[in-house]
Amino acid sequence: MKSNPPKLSLRFFRWFCHPKLRDSIEGDLMELYEERKLKSGKLKADAHFIKDVLFLFRPGIIKPTEGYQNLNTYAMYKNYFVTAWRNITSKRAYAAINVFGLALGIACALLIFSLVRHHLDFDKFHAQADRIYRFVTEEHHGEVEYSPNVPPAFGKAFRDDYAFGEKVTRLCTLNDKLITLDENGEKRKFQEQVAFADPEFFEIFNFPLVAGKADGLLREPNTAVITGQIAKKYFGDQLALGKIIRLGSDIDFTVVGVLKDIPAATDLNTEIYFSYSTMKQYNDWYAADDAWGGITSEIQVFTRLQPGVNPTEVEAVLPTYVQKYRPKSKNVHHYKMQALSDMHFNAQYGGKMSINTIWILSTIGFLLVFTACLNFINLATAQAVTRAKEVGVRKVMGGLRAQLFWQFTTEAGVIVVLATLLAFAASYTVLPFMNEFFNVTLSLNVFSDVRLLLFLIIVIAAVTLLSGAYPGIVLSRFKPVLALKGNLKGGPGSFNIRRGLIIAQFTISQVLLIGLIVMFYQMRYVNKMDMGFDRDAVVMVPVGSRDQKLNTLKTQFEAIPHVEKVSACFGSPASENMWGTSFRFDTRTEAEEFPIYFKGGDEDYLALFGLELVAGRNVTASDTVREFLVNEKAVLKLGLASPEDILGKFMYANGGSIKGPIVGVVKDFHDQSLHAEIEPIFITTPRNFYNSYAIKINMAEAATTLPAIEKAWSAMYPEPIYHYDFLDDQIASFYKAEQTMLTVVQVFSAIALLIGCLGLYGLVSFMALQKTKEIGIRKVLGGSVPQILWIFGKEFSRLVVIAFFIAAPLGWLLMSQWLTSYVYKTEIGVGVFVLELLIILAIIMLTAGFRSLKAAVANPVNSLRSE
Amino acid sequence: MKKYQLGEFEEVVMLTVGILYDEAYGVSIKKEIESRLKRGVSVGALQTALRRLEDKGYLKSREGEATEERAGRPKKYFIITAYGKKAMEYTRITREELWSAIPKVALDVKMT
Repeated sequence: MKSNPPKLSLRFFRWFCHPKLRDSIEGDLMELYEERKLKSGKLKADAHFIKDVLFLFRPGIIKPTEGYQNLNTYAMYKNYFVTAWRNITSKRAYAAINVFGLALGIACALLIFSLVRHHLDFDKFHAQADRIYRFVTEEHHGEVEYSPNVPPAFGKAFRDDYAFGEKVTRLCTLNDKLITLDENGEKRKFQEQVAFADPEFFEIFNFPLVAGKADGLLREPNTAVITGQIAKKYFGDQLALGKIIRLGSDIDFTVVGVLKDIPAATDLNTEIYFSYSTMKQYNDWYAADDAWGGITSEIQVFTRLQPGVNPTEVEAVLPTYVQKYRPKSKNVHHYKMQALSDMHFNAQYGGKMSINTIWILSTIGFLLVFTACLNFINLATAQAVTRAKEVGVRKVMGGLRAQLFWQFTTEAGVIVVLATLLAFAASYTVLPFMNEFFNVTLSLNVFSDVRLLLFLIIVIAAVTLLSGAYPGIVLSRFKPVLALKGNLKGGPGSFNIRRGLIIAQFTISQVLLIGLIVMFYQMRYVNKMDMGFDRDAVVMVPVGSRDQKLNTLKTQFEAIPHVEKVSACFGSPASENMWGTSFRFDTRTEAEEFPIYFKGGDEDYLALFGLELVAGRNVTASDTVREFLVNEKAVLKLGLASPEDILGKFMYANGGSIKGPIVGVVKDFHDQSLHAEIEPIFITTPRNFYNSYAIKINMAEAATTLPAIEKAWSAMYPEPIYHYDFLDDQIASFYKAEQTMLTVVQVFSAIALLIGCLGLYGLVSFMALQKTKEIGIRKVLGGSVPQILWIFGKEFSRLVVIAFFIAAPLGWLLMSQWLTSYVYKTEIGVGVFVLELLIILAIIMLTAGFRSLKAAVANPVNSLRSE
Repeated sequence: MKKYQLGEFEEVVMLTVGILYDEAYGVSIKKEIESRLKRGVSVGALQTALRRLEDKGYLKSREGEATEERAGRPKKYFIITAYGKKAMEYTRITREELWSAIPKVALDVKMT
């Protein structure tokens, strides 16, 4: 009778037992089992057997977890590299496509990484940065406006009234201020960004001193702190401490401290700080304790909260200020706290880098590397057939599947490492240009930068696995017999996956292309859009004073040949410098709910900018407020039926200090960038609010006119610094940041497309090689060149069309989302998609066409002669 | 003099392998010990000891014939190596030295 001990027990034994001992012990067990069964029956024998197996489960018998055959496999690993190298050198073209594509992708990823990291690092270097907040204001007046500022009196009141803040500082940042140095009677002038700050500023923020006493810094009035860079610029090698610098024409400051140069990654990049206690001399209202009437873009308040204080706690008490100081105002303030980490990214509060852009860039970076990986996978699987013999031989010699898999992954790894080296060299070369373009100082130094090193390692590992794993699986799956016989046609399954990969790649390319086209259309739309006023050949020059000299200079300008018109004004029709005020209209007793925006300009303003009147007449010449013009939007918002109805009515702005009759209505024009809607506007003639001369010149004669203007201006005002801007440039600067960003997105998208094309080219060349015989036979049998081209064409066009139907909705969705940030925007019409499809087909034809044409026109004799 | 480590059970196994000479494999060793010393020996304990002794170089093994009752599994025969013999001798000598060092009086205990 055949013996059969408990199965489970036996299997357990076989599983744990050391393979070397297994047979002999199992034999012993069996012998004993047989004997016992004969002696005392099956049941007892079974029990004994189980007991024996359990007693065998002990360290000496259990197989070790790490293999027990200590073979020397270094030769094999070395062979992996040798094979990889031979493959790279024998198929140079494919290797080049792979390495080049991956290198492009990785180089872009590196650059994007350093850019994104630079931005994510903004203001992270301050101590306890997580407790630092900025006070911001939401203004509710019908609609909601967000402002990163608070009323001038807020900072001091908050510091005195509440204990939430460990430190509180006000910061008043002023742009383009005149700084004068008086050295032994010789005057030197500079235009700088300066700021008034409380002593706490340097306790909250980490800007260390290199000279001067940190204790009580900026406490005394008329003291200043400057950076080392400014000190060098102003005083050269002389000691800066104790030197006097003058703000404007009459406020003197003694330098009491020199700061270490401000790091690049901060939005607080002012280099000259004055003591806030001097503020009264500069601007009374900013220093006043009751300055709750409005907010100005110049004043910000920062605080570092006490440990454990929650910002929502603080926000909860802030409405008491509104009740106490602004009980009646229609413009309801809601004071909020913004974390320091949010400052750089929140566009609502003037953040310079929207978090969206960071995301877009990161996604593109990922896609770049991903497309390169897809290329690699495509080419590797396409070529799998050529490696079949190798796989067969290795398997016959005892190669395990896992070993083959790692062999092909190693091969991918070699290519990835090569590509990374190349990428590093490339990004290193490009970096200076990028730094200049973004006006940043990025560096790529793997040796001093742990995060970069980590990023590189992750990229290499991820790309190797991503691109090596699938070909590895496919290749190691080959059955040795079939592979050696050579009848492997890369089964239908793998071919479908390859098609899927090509569709994925075409989809990515097409989404990017749709994005590129829409962005291009939008920027063209913005640049070409009629702003509603004339902006060509207009030079903007600042006013030197706001007295009679202003009018005199205007007359002098008009006398210069080829100057067509001059207008003294608050600003150009479209400018970021907005001044909104609440106002009362006609006989209505309540102030209107919406603010109206001020555009000052004299009687030549309309004519110079080509603004059209739709009703009434132009204002008469005056140096003070006498008459008003409003735009159509204001008429609409006031609820009047027609522009004529408003004529002759009075309006009272700025708390009644600016009042007069409305004499005309101008056609709506864009008063800000196209991100914003047209606001209600009023135009009037107060000379003491004028900032600039707008001068219309004949561009053909600009070379003589511009110096003449400067001469007249400098003769009138010898002290201040003269400068001018063309209005077009000013308007273009509204979009400068996004133009920069768009260029980057466009460049990187284009590179992604290029990588896609590279892969396509490789694939087509491989197909052509594979089909050499087929093409030869077809030609011999009378196939024409177009027919043969179509063999290549039909496959790819089908895949492109499938990809198009995935990409089109996706692209439409993404780009509609992007366009929502513009109030005035281009339509995403059918035209965009048609154009996109045409372009992608053209690109494919160019990349694939040349290679397939070469295959199609080849002489069949050459391809068929040898077998 | 070099130390030879030999535990009590290991010594028993070595001696039994010696007794069985050319017939020492798992089951026969187990039976020999059980019959001579009247104590139960588990397969696990025996195999562990054998393996340890083999690792130490006191025993060496060879594969034997496969038989029907062993379900086709080969026997593993053990014989004592020269080194193993030294170890056994060492153990024996140290025992004897210890025995002879015991004063007569100490052993002169009346068993009651």
